[in-house]
Amino acid sequence: MVSSNGMLAIDARDVEKTFRSGWFGRRQTQALRGVSLTVARGSIVGVLGPNGAGKTTLLSILATLLTPDRGRVLVLGHDVVREAAVLRRRLNMASGRPSFLWSLRVGEIIAFYGRLYGLSGARLRRRVDALIDLCELGPYRRVPYSDLSTGLKQRVALAKSLVNEPELLFLDEPTLGLDPDVSVRVREHIARLRREQGMTIVLTTHYMREADELCDEIAFIKAGRILSRGTPGELKRQIRLGEVIALRLDPPTVAWLAEAPGVLRCVEADGWVECTVDEAEKRLPELLRALHNDGVVIRNVQVREPELEEVFVELAK
Amino acid sequence: MSWRNELLAVWAVTLRNALMGSRNVFFFFELLFWPIVGVLSIGLMTRFLELTPAQASFVLVGTIALSVINVCQLEVAYAVLLDVWSKSLKHQFLAPIGIRHLTLGSWLVGIVRSFAVFVLLTVLGWWAFDFEVLRPGWLALGTFLLGCFLTAWVVGVAVCALITLFGNRAEAFAWASVNLVLVLAGIYYPVSVLPDSIAAIARAIPLTYFLDAYRSYYGFQSEFAAPVATGLALSALYAVLAHWAFLAAIQRARRTGLLLKMSE
Ligand SMILES: Nc1ncnc2c1ncn2[C@@H]1O[C@H](COP(=O)(O)OP(=O)(O)O)[C@@H](O)[C@H]1O
Ligand SMILES: [Mg+2]
Repeated sequence: MVSSNGMLAIDARDVEKTFRSGWFGRRQTQALRGVSLTVARGSIVGVLGPNGAGKTTLLSILATLLTPDRGRVLVLGHDVVREAAVLRRRLNMASGRPSFLWSLRVGEIIAFYGRLYGLSGARLRRRVDALIDLCELGPYRRVPYSDLSTGLKQRVALAKSLVNEPELLFLDEPTLGLDPDVSVRVREHIARLRREQGMTIVLTTHYMREADELCDEIAFIKAGRILSRGTPGELKRQIRLGEVIALRLDPPTVAWLAEAPGVLRCVEADGWVECTVDEAEKRLPELLRALHNDGVVIRNVQVREPELEEVFVELAK
Repeated sequence: MSWRNELLAVWAVTLRNALMGSRNVFFFFELLFWPIVGVLSIGLMTRFLELTPAQASFVLVGTIALSVINVCQLEVAYAVLLDVWSKSLKHQFLAPIGIRHLTLGSWLVGIVRSFAVFVLLTVLGWWAFDFEVLRPGWLALGTFLLGCFLTAWVVGVAVCALITLFGNRAEAFAWASVNLVLVLAGIYYPVSVLPDSIAAIARAIPLTYFLDAYRSYYGFQSEFAAPVATGLALSALYAVLAHWAFLAAIQRARRTGLLLKMSE
């Protein structure tokens, strides 16, 4: 137990948080209703969920910006409430809606936070240079923050979040509102940080592809509860979405397909019939045989895993 | 935390405030325009009322103190205000620093800026209205300035606490409080002219004693037994209280989520 806990970057149990607002706190929002989450060191974990699910709240608690009402949270072996000061040296965070002092220049912003984390002199200069290189901010070094585009602001936020070489990095919707090609580069970045530096990364997103591509594990959160958790593959199986067999047929539709054994669902799209089946390996030969016996011509067959998007729609129901 | 890191964090904030200040268009208004307007209008009034040089100095000390404290406390309040305005407060409190770094770093910039204002205004007062700034001597002058800086520190930190407690709404109230302090501390008059109940409040304000001590060198009888020592002791007390209030406000903001709300 003790040794396995040592491998955990995050060990949160039954975390609850309610926000109160209005006069005398009469309006209450239960943002987290008993969330438990463990994150192994060196892994990338995605917290996925619709708007208002509690993703930012959870990340803020893990990053010591918000104190939980109830529950126990250990991050890198430290209690987030009692040992926050020690912990802050070792973690950092960037958000997809970044904001920094408007008239400071890119280089000055990174240097300012570098000093807060104890860097100075040549070490500080080297770190700032390296981060500006890494985040491709070279041409903007002397540009005031308020003159930057959204994508550049996000890159400044990423650079700032790496200034203390954190062991644990929180990214709150890191590719929010970015152009697709920029998102791809940001994702490559994130994957590289883990690969080369063994950084533990917890990110929130509502882009399924992002989670599918980047994360070792995904936790689905909705209305302050974690509904499901596992590797992207496990999640797809766990809620028994099964695999998808896509068929191009002549005639294009076959009425009995939806009732065939092992077929969970059938939809038609763009001339393809997509059958979600419990087990493709077993059902594919059966279906092909049955179709053949029925005199249906099979023009094309594809087997694929369901998209996380579909898993998400299923879970959010 | 090591001494090196302590100083570095203070220095980081000092540098930040200085850079922001140097790029602020209102900087020159804060630094030059209003203080000069203040000294000129008050100085001209002393002429019209045909005050003695000592009386004119008495009033000018008040208006100069007002400018010095205003500029300095505004800078201390920038410790959180800059981040509140730019919605970057959470980065500050994600970093392993304390509020002492924020307030001290800002205070240092405030001291430099308000000292510049002080030099400018005394030169102007001396040139236009024969204000003799050095008559009390260097030590008394230094003590008076220290009193102004300490008052500005206390007010500025209290403003920081109010803003982290109530959000942006507190700003307007915060600015009003400085002027209230000055009115109570006897900006253009000795506290003895105030009604008894209000004079009692004035006696709880450290600046009252620093003004009293400095003005005694212009021939006005001091109203207190040991004004400088009392002023210093009161300042220390309030500095501790203000610091503690700010600390408590931050802890509360971490609990209520205001810290995050102010960063959205
Ligand atoms: N600082 C705050 N003060 C009051 N309510 C908040 C605060 N932060 C979040 N909430 C509320 O808590 C709920 C969860 O919000 P959040 O964690 O930001 O969701 P997500 O990041 O998943 O979109 C929402 O209903 C939101 O309105
Ligand atoms: Mg969010």
